[in-house]
Amino acid sequence: MHRFLFLVSFLLSTMAASAQRDTLITITSSGGLQFDQKRLIVKPNTRLRLIFQNKDDMAHNLVVTRPNSRLRVVEFALALGAKGPAQHHVPVMDDVLAHTTSIEPGNSDSLTVTLAEGAYPFVCTYPGHGSIMYGVIYATNQPKLLPAPETDRNLPNPERTAEAAHHHAAASGHPYSLQLPAVYRTFMPDCGPAAIAVGLPGPEGGQSYVFDAGQCRLRYAWSGGFVDNTEQWDGKGQRFTKLVGDIYFRDTGGFPWKIGTTKQEVPQFKGYRLINQYPEFRYIVNGVEIRELIKPMASGRGLVRIFTLSPSKQPVTFVTTSQPGIHFKPSVGRVQNGAIQLPNGTRQFSLTVSTL
Amino acid sequence: MLATLLLSALLVTSAPADTITDYYEVETIPTPPGLVAETGGLSFLPDGRLAACFHRGEVMLYNPKTKVWKLFAEGLHDPLGVVAVSNNQLLVIQRPELTRITDTNGDGLADQYETVTDQFGMSGNYHEFAFGPVRDTKGNLYISLNTASNGAGIRDEVRGQYDALGRQGRMYACVPYRGWVMQITPDGKVKPYASGFRSPNGLGFDAQGRLYVTDNQGDWLGTSKLFHVEEGKFYGHPASLVWRPGFPDIDPLTLSVKTLDSMRTVESISFPHEVMAHSPTQLVTDNTGGKFGPFAGHLFVGEMDFSRLIRILPDEVDGQIQGACIPFYDKAGGKIPLRIGNNRLAFAPDGSLWLGQTDHGWLGDRGIQRIRYKGAAAGVPLDILGMKLTTTGFDLTFTQPLDEATARDLANYRFKSYYYEYHRAYGSPQMDVHTVAVAAVKLSADRKTVSLMINELKASRIYELNLGSLLASNGQKKLANHLVCYTLNRLVKDDTSAVRKTH
Repeated sequence: MHRFLFLVSFLLSTMAASAQRDTLITITSSGGLQFDQKRLIVKPNTRLRLIFQNKDDMAHNLVVTRPNSRLRVVEFALALGAKGPAQHHVPVMDDVLAHTTSIEPGNSDSLTVTLAEGAYPFVCTYPGHGSIMYGVIYATNQPKLLPAPETDRNLPNPERTAEAAHHHAAASGHPYSLQLPAVYRTFMPDCGPAAIAVGLPGPEGGQSYVFDAGQCRLRYAWSGGFVDNTEQWDGKGQRFTKLVGDIYFRDTGGFPWKIGTTKQEVPQFKGYRLINQYPEFRYIVNGVEIRELIKPMASGRGLVRIFTLSPSKQPVTFVTTSQPGIHFKPSVGRVQNGAIQLPNGTRQFSLTVSTL
Repeated sequence: MLATLLLSALLVTSAPADTITDYYEVETIPTPPGLVAETGGLSFLPDGRLAACFHRGEVMLYNPKTKVWKLFAEGLHDPLGVVAVSNNQLLVIQRPELTRITDTNGDGLADQYETVTDQFGMSGNYHEFAFGPVRDTKGNLYISLNTASNGAGIRDEVRGQYDALGRQGRMYACVPYRGWVMQITPDGKVKPYASGFRSPNGLGFDAQGRLYVTDNQGDWLGTSKLFHVEEGKFYGHPASLVWRPGFPDIDPLTLSVKTLDSMRTVESISFPHEVMAHSPTQLVTDNTGGKFGPFAGHLFVGEMDFSRLIRILPDEVDGQIQGACIPFYDKAGGKIPLRIGNNRLAFAPDGSLWLGQTDHGWLGDRGIQRIRYKGAAAGVPLDILGMKLTTTGFDLTFTQPLDEATARDLANYRFKSYYYEYHRAYGSPQMDVHTVAVAAVKLSADRKTVSLMINELKASRIYELNLGSLLASNGQKKLANHLVCYTLNRLVKDDTSAVRKTH
């Protein structure tokens, strides 16, 4: 009897081992530019079928890349520019092993890939998403040798990134250590009085920007640090918060959006939500709701501004102010006479502002 | 005989000293390391946790049961008020706006910051604080907007329309709606509600749901005041008038004092400067149903610079709300003394009164304390429960029957009468100060009410009463507070049929 049981369990375990060569895993995205699972572990040479369900309110894709190729793929995806949407924002290159199509909110798609031993990043290559919306598939027989998730450099982790940017808890002025991304509503120089300073993680102190909640627009960006609140906090609040680092971009124009051709209303600031600690600002102008999420470029000095728009029957134009040394790279359309005319029905659009 | 003397001496020395600390005690709430506890707002969540916001932008939650603090939100610009909507949603006022802050994913941290209203101007002057919100029973929210100070300038870029006509004066209102109380209706409409405030750092309701606002001594305010605020009225500080619909295109300071005086609605209660208050703050109604002692239904007002709170004794005469103010827990000492800087007040579900303290560049302490009533076992302090104007003087009602001999002694009641000038200058001395003699004293049958007949009763004056050593319970209880100040705006008509509401 005992021997019989042993035999059955032995058979079951060998069956299980062979069944693992064909694996089905479902991943979802549920807001906050995040995959719900960021670390998948399979045996080498497994034929993996990944189903990606998009539960977010913006479009995403899922691209599996060769080891150590995520940033390169993200960069090439961004470079697709106006061709991006037609290609589901997936560049044609050897580093892409498999990908889904562009998945609208509520829909799903799948991909199948067979992976030899290694660490394979998977990422959403929508403009701006790739710097935080990613994970890794480990094909390994020795899962115990993997780093703990909190120290895994293949996983996104804003807290760890902030630590790497040398922010010291003692200097935060709060009962917790300040971690990037971080938001301060405060008095900032060269901005209206309703200013929002945002520090983003990145090398050498990160990148920062000021969003003007009165005018609903990005005012300037700097790199090399965030802010120093010492003087603002000391006393009654007469003095400005100081920025730490060097300003590399100033928007010297006005409110950038033109909706339709008739009277442009004053935009109304509606607040923000934190997506993975990154603020996504919301404002309304001429009946169109615009959401703006600003990310640091994956590498180099620059910001990726990701806009999500509610439907508009009227033509929508984004106006840029040219300045030396600054490049504007839109994900759709192109900059013509300082303006980007969005194709009809554009619901999502990103603009990379960089010193490249 | 000798034995009796000895025994009575023993009784005297062993009798309790009878101070307010026999009935109330103060506890200091530890705040987390690293927190600069300049407290801008306090509110209790439905589940009993405390929400507190601090000058550097944090909103933190404190669980009184576990004594654990947790961060809820951060990055706010000088938040100076909070109201809990639910266990995961707060309304917080910060300099640029009133914000609805929500934890939408249940991880304990706020992730959504929605603008409820930012429909008011900012010149960038540091003195343009925003206070509130408070919510009435119909769901309307009220906030108040500080005027700017000529101790500092304005920014090149302002938010909202700039009006140079509002730029004059010591405290000014060059952007809308500085010096106003704003109403936000449940459907989101924002209405400039009442004008004429200087530094209205306290909003609250009385037990009848009427809105009150405190304002701080300064230009046009001879002394600090408590206003009963109603829609459309002007409360005396002129700068905000430029934003009144239909107000002529002139600098309000060009109007004569007489004209402005005729336009204004006077305060319900004055807080005589240095006598009662320096800088009144938030007001709360004791809604504890007796858990906080004998003052259920009373209004308590915070005070920045003195180690006391102020209690309000309302009176309504011919439709005019007026009345008296009296210190509470004044210079009480005790094991843990009450600190100063009491900027924010909130009653906890257990009936204790929590105090949020700040200095923020002015006088004050930092941190959080609470005052707890020791309960029925400790008994009831001897204190004044009510002060009502009569045709001939005042009726004072006490928490318990008085010792008859001291209560009937005329020397125990000393009145002074004075007023504060309504003028452009900062503050005002007490004007036309004189003593008012008490002609007669009557004690009610239950010995709880003293009726004082005095030789002068004039409208638009303050009657400051200093009480002597009144006693109760066979001399075992001493009067807790000896100072009470009545703001007499309107006289009781000398007509017994006059309708008189009592509260």
